[in-house]
Amino acid sequence: MSLEKDIYQLFEDIVGSENISNDEPILDSYSFQWGSELFRPNGNRFMPRPDAVLLPGSAEEVQSIARICNKYKIKFKAFSTGWCVYAAPYKEGQILLDMRRMDRILDIDEKNMFAVIEPNVIGATLQAEAMKIGLNTHMIGSGCVSSPLAAATSFLGHGPDSLFMGQAAENLLAAEWVLPTGDIVRTGAMGSGIGWFSGDGPGPSIRAIVRGGSGARGAMGVFTKCAVKLYPWPGPTQLPVEGTIPAYGSTLPKNIRAYTIAFPDWKAYGDAHYKIYNAEIGYILHRQYNKLGEDLAPAFFKMYIDPTKTIDDLEEMLEKPEIKKLTEELRISTQIVLAGMTSRDIAWQEKALEEILAETKGWKVAAMSDPEMEKFTLLYLIRLGFKGLNMVFSGGYRGSFSQKGTPDFALKYRPIAADVLAKHQKTGLIVDSGGDSMMGPGGGMGGGGHIGFEQFCFYDPSDLSSINGALEYFEDAAGTAKKLGLTSGYEARIFETRLSEEEKRTAYLSSKQPALFKYQRKIKDIFDPNDLGDDQYAVMPRDPNGLEDVAS
Amino acid sequence: MSLSDYIVNMKRCIRCSYCKWTILSQIKSWRFARGCPSEGFTKFHSYSAGGKMAVSLALLEGRFNYNDRLLDIAYKCQLCGACDVACKVCRYLMEPLETMRELRTKLVEDGQLLPEHMLTIEGLRAEDNMMLKQKKERGKYLEDSNVKNVTNEKAEVLFHAGCRLSFDEELSTTARKALNILKKANVDVGVMGKDETCCGGRAYDLGYRGEFTKYAEHNTEAWRNAGIKTVVTCCSDCYYTFKVLYAKHGFIKNVEVLHITEYLKRLIDKGKIIFTKKVPMKITYHDPCHLGRLAEDYVPWNGEEKKIKGQIVTYEPKKPIRRGAKGIYETPRDLLKSIPGIQLVEMERIKEYAWCCGASGGVKEAYPEFALWTANERIEEAESTGAEALVTACPWCERNFLDAVNSDGKNMRIYDIVDLVDQAM
Amino acid sequence: MGILDAVANEYSLKNELATLLKSNQNIFDEPQILESYSKDNSFSSQRKPKCVVKPTNKDEVQSIVKWANLTGTPLVPVSSGPPHFRGDTVPSIAGSVIVDLSEMKKIIRIDTRNKIAIIEPGVTFSQLQTELAKEGLTITAPLPIRNSKSVLTSLLEREPVLIPRYQWQILDPLRFLEVVWGNGDSLRTGEIGLYSPVEEGKPVEQLAPFGPLQLDYYRLVSGAQGTMGIVVWAAIKCEVLPNLHEFFFVSSDTLEPLIDLSYKLLRFRFGDELFIMNNMNLAYMVGNDLAEINQLKEELPKWILVLGVAGRDRLPKERVEFQKKDIADISQQLGLKVSSRVSFINGKQMETFLSGFDRDIPWKITYKGGCEDIFFLTTLNRTKDFIQSVWKLSQTRKYSTADIGVYLQPVQQGAACHCEFSFPFDPTQYSQVVDMEELYEHASDMLLKQDAFFSRPYGIWANMVYNRDAQGTTTLMRVKEIFDPNNIMNPGRLFWTQTLKSERQGGLE
Repeated sequence: MSLEKDIYQLFEDIVGSENISNDEPILDSYSFQWGSELFRPNGNRFMPRPDAVLLPGSAEEVQSIARICNKYKIKFKAFSTGWCVYAAPYKEGQILLDMRRMDRILDIDEKNMFAVIEPNVIGATLQAEAMKIGLNTHMIGSGCVSSPLAAATSFLGHGPDSLFMGQAAENLLAAEWVLPTGDIVRTGAMGSGIGWFSGDGPGPSIRAIVRGGSGARGAMGVFTKCAVKLYPWPGPTQLPVEGTIPAYGSTLPKNIRAYTIAFPDWKAYGDAHYKIYNAEIGYILHRQYNKLGEDLAPAFFKMYIDPTKTIDDLEEMLEKPEIKKLTEELRISTQIVLAGMTSRDIAWQEKALEEILAETKGWKVAAMSDPEMEKFTLLYLIRLGFKGLNMVFSGGYRGSFSQKGTPDFALKYRPIAADVLAKHQKTGLIVDSGGDSMMGPGGGMGGGGHIGFEQFCFYDPSDLSSINGALEYFEDAAGTAKKLGLTSGYEARIFETRLSEEEKRTAYLSSKQPALFKYQRKIKDIFDPNDLGDDQYAVMPRDPNGLEDVAS
Repeated sequence: MSLSDYIVNMKRCIRCSYCKWTILSQIKSWRFARGCPSEGFTKFHSYSAGGKMAVSLALLEGRFNYNDRLLDIAYKCQLCGACDVACKVCRYLMEPLETMRELRTKLVEDGQLLPEHMLTIEGLRAEDNMMLKQKKERGKYLEDSNVKNVTNEKAEVLFHAGCRLSFDEELSTTARKALNILKKANVDVGVMGKDETCCGGRAYDLGYRGEFTKYAEHNTEAWRNAGIKTVVTCCSDCYYTFKVLYAKHGFIKNVEVLHITEYLKRLIDKGKIIFTKKVPMKITYHDPCHLGRLAEDYVPWNGEEKKIKGQIVTYEPKKPIRRGAKGIYETPRDLLKSIPGIQLVEMERIKEYAWCCGASGGVKEAYPEFALWTANERIEEAESTGAEALVTACPWCERNFLDAVNSDGKNMRIYDIVDLVDQAM
Repeated sequence: MGILDAVANEYSLKNELATLLKSNQNIFDEPQILESYSKDNSFSSQRKPKCVVKPTNKDEVQSIVKWANLTGTPLVPVSSGPPHFRGDTVPSIAGSVIVDLSEMKKIIRIDTRNKIAIIEPGVTFSQLQTELAKEGLTITAPLPIRNSKSVLTSLLEREPVLIPRYQWQILDPLRFLEVVWGNGDSLRTGEIGLYSPVEEGKPVEQLAPFGPLQLDYYRLVSGAQGTMGIVVWAAIKCEVLPNLHEFFFVSSDTLEPLIDLSYKLLRFRFGDELFIMNNMNLAYMVGNDLAEINQLKEELPKWILVLGVAGRDRLPKERVEFQKKDIADISQQLGLKVSSRVSFINGKQMETFLSGFDRDIPWKITYKGGCEDIFFLTTLNRTKDFIQSVWKLSQTRKYSTADIGVYLQPVQQGAACHCEFSFPFDPTQYSQVVDMEELYEHASDMLLKQDAFFSRPYGIWANMVYNRDAQGTTTLMRVKEIFDPNNIMNPGRLFWTQTLKSERQGGLE
């Protein structure tokens, strides 16, 4: 589909000719997406083409665009950095708003510890500016190339530092939101122009409809600004980075330490997490390295921090006796960074950690504490600029299972996730990284209490048989979660998009709380009456018999 | 290799946007965080390396026919390689820069020519230079120099000026100074004078492989005939072309290629150059792409993909990875620091993650506004250090910085390293 | 209406409810009971409900709400016992039924390992903290007000808690809950809504409060003054009970150094309880009688920062020791001194006071018998401007500034600050009542214009605040239409409120 010329002109009049295009190469570059090969038939790397791509420069421009869209019933979606299929059209007949021009950090309130940002601000730049004044930002799990605004308003938001710095949803203060109707609403204290420091109120919060466990993923209007909380950073005003590419590392003062801690069994692992929460220690708590697989991760990372080596050295590394030993040692392990605000503070935290390890028979893995590894771990976990390694093996990866909950809960399902993946790894169509290729936050939310295990499946997106092998695994994973009565992980979305409206309705009606989908439909009916957002905002399809839905 | 050889690459792009930014771990501020001038200038994702990979795949899949936008996307890019380096921090399988080069080669092969480049290439074909000047003017900068001409005299070292220094009157003093320095250090140096031709590197970047091959063959044959064992140049573009491209395409054998900074450093270490004057100046140094991240030695490889552990992509034999680790970074800095009075301060984006000057890849010729924008970004970065001068080691960088300073009325002084060495002697 | 008709009407309502609930045990319409719900200590107009019903479980609540939809009966949920102060528990519409949840007072479960307590609306702080202490837990609580205060209401109404570093969000420590909406639907919020039901004896498995799906339902009942629905149970995040708990005081004649100290402590995340009061407020809070209050008013320094430092189950002594030292160092850099007492108040007394929720009479009214509070959110660095303004206004209105209490409570880890002014007055003196009403209205108006954020808009604040945020108000009203389409949940609150003067002129119905 393409836009009519005069409608295109209306959009062009808003953003300027240099900020709009419907040239085919442009459109295709925006329909190319990570993960499209799972959602589209035959491993297609392209999602449906948008009708046009616009680069708005202000909330007012977004509003004007939304008004035209409402007038002419044109679907639209905005994205901040645009990483992953959620940023692309799922069907034809949609325009995309690339928020690239709105990339400013508008303010950092040092005293009250929050920043006001636009959509295209990425975690890395916010962190760099915050560190100059002794502050830091929560870095969401997808890494520092992602947008804190997008995470806070529109998607998920756990990250390695959630234990200390909360989950993105916890960090959202006030926000500026162009509703699908084109109305601009500002939440919290910004509603009356008072300030960005409060996102809730007055009274019951509009914040309630901004997002829940997840945001609307671009399907309910456009967030053009928001305030996010910042956190203390007891380190240098600039992250010191040394080393030869890619083996960068950061030598930090002794009040900031990184460890990999391991345990004799999973019960001890879980117990240790509870003890860490209760002791209130830890700046970062994340099972990060294991994402590359319990069988491969130790070899990979030891290889990675040697800049003379490449992936071609992995096989050799795997054969080294010390790597084999390390691999066994790390099977039940996680990473932790302690950051003391003062020297007394770090001393206390270190002591507390030692006690916890003694009580749970855990230990600090010596081979992960050598200076080079610690420097790398610190930089990795603090800046989170190595998240592209999620795709290092073969170019494709998707998370699955993704059970989040208390440590006891998540650990209950860990072996199930491991078994299902291991079974499919034997086919050779996905990477055989070991059944436990799980990564996830050890804190999950501010103060902890909640861990996540995202199971990594690696496949080659240029190889249709590998894509199909991955899809078989994902279907098994989604089905297993459903059988167990668990909520689905990321993989389930692949199959949800294939459902007809009838099938969706059936699925939603048989879910634990069908009312959720009805309420979201009601919200959508009010705020998106012309249905201009796509189905990333889950709504109960209308009754095909035309009967009115009752309340429950 | 051709563009279609990179389809697998394109499909393995994950659209992570690392290619748009300087190396993420190295970001020190919001202002100087970006790495890709193309995406920075146009703001469209399409112009980033990831965007160009997608566009290339779309082209090969027949999703659209040739059009002006495609040319714009392909050519509004300095091919500076910042994207390549940023991508390869986390990816071993990707070759964004090579893919973008092959896109251009395909465009040219298929007759999809950017009009602005056609003029330059016609000039090259006719006059053996990229400056739209007559070849008889080449070597004019040598008129008052008493230096050997290697076409009829033996010399140990060939000084290759390059098109920019040969024809840019303002900058040709750098070539003269370099020669004088070498002569003062008793180096047995010679030139080709008006017989010098273009290295062919810029033609290569524009996608004109035929022209590149012609000049590569010509130059290496001329060196052979003249018994040249060492080639020294002030031009980073030429340096990269000789050292990397000629080696990659099998044209060069047994000739050592050195940048002037490397050679001067050797002379200083041997005590053959002594600084007698102070140059009291606070400066910052710009790493030319073609001396820095792009200038790692070319290591030949002829191998295949081999999957291990099911789907992990490796190569057999082991494939060398080019990600800027071994560019020439320290030598120019050591050289500068050895000049009495010089205080060197660093910009935020340096070495393998430096911001481009804006001149290369045919951008200076086809998109002057973009070239100047890129340069101005760099000049602002230089200003942020408090430096009085921005020093570089490539005449294309120098020219573009000078043009930017002149057009914007900025105060920043621009030098080539050779200028400062000369001042100190 | 004739008296017989009136009697007939009231009789049928009680009967109707009795039939609905299959019992008339918890349905009340005696005049003195109705009278007790018809007013509170705010300036809200008085209005008697038609009936009071005290459900004992969720099913009964749901039946009542569904019935209310059918009959168009306004419902006013109440969880805490009297006295009330905010006006939100007083019916604003004739024919209202009070839904008093104080009989739903079960502590459903305490999951010690996951530090979650699941409680019904009638559970009070003293009840909960006593039971939690047996499990080695506690919740981060607000200043103790009175014995009958409902924990759930306190959290839903976002009363500021004393330990800011535990508040990643301003709703903390509230987690997930079950709500009966105004439309009669019930819904379980949070991750747990999608995953698994809350069952007796089953450990809590998901405790994130977000969602389910793409709405944060619990935020719709937060700060809602019962206008969206009735919460029938809620889960609360607990903390480890301190093994060692010391309290300290930092005094200053001016506020600024204490603000600086607070910012530092918030940045470092040192200490636990952290708040600032002026001498008057601390005197009101701690003084047991008039004599003590007056003594404290004289002896206390102008401004006092109160800081608790706790050691929990791990290395408690070491934690308290190192934090004490670091806090002393930080204070010293600011020219401040940390003391273990101020006037006759020592740390132990402060600890006892802050953990004691067993006062029958709220401490604020000890001084003069009545007290009005004006409170709002701002940032800590702006509080001194507001204080200055209030002082000026009070002087022009001839209210003795020597009586004004100030309470500054950093919330949400310091992103915001609850700023509260307390104005004691004698409610038996008509002139004082009139003056207080006018001062209250003028001060509120002035503060709003100076960008005070009345995030909990009780009484007259509602109109003031919602008038200033037209788009937000419209949005909220449209959302309310979904969850309370017949507007039966505490109508007249939040979005429609009369001014005090007109209410006074209207008198009792």
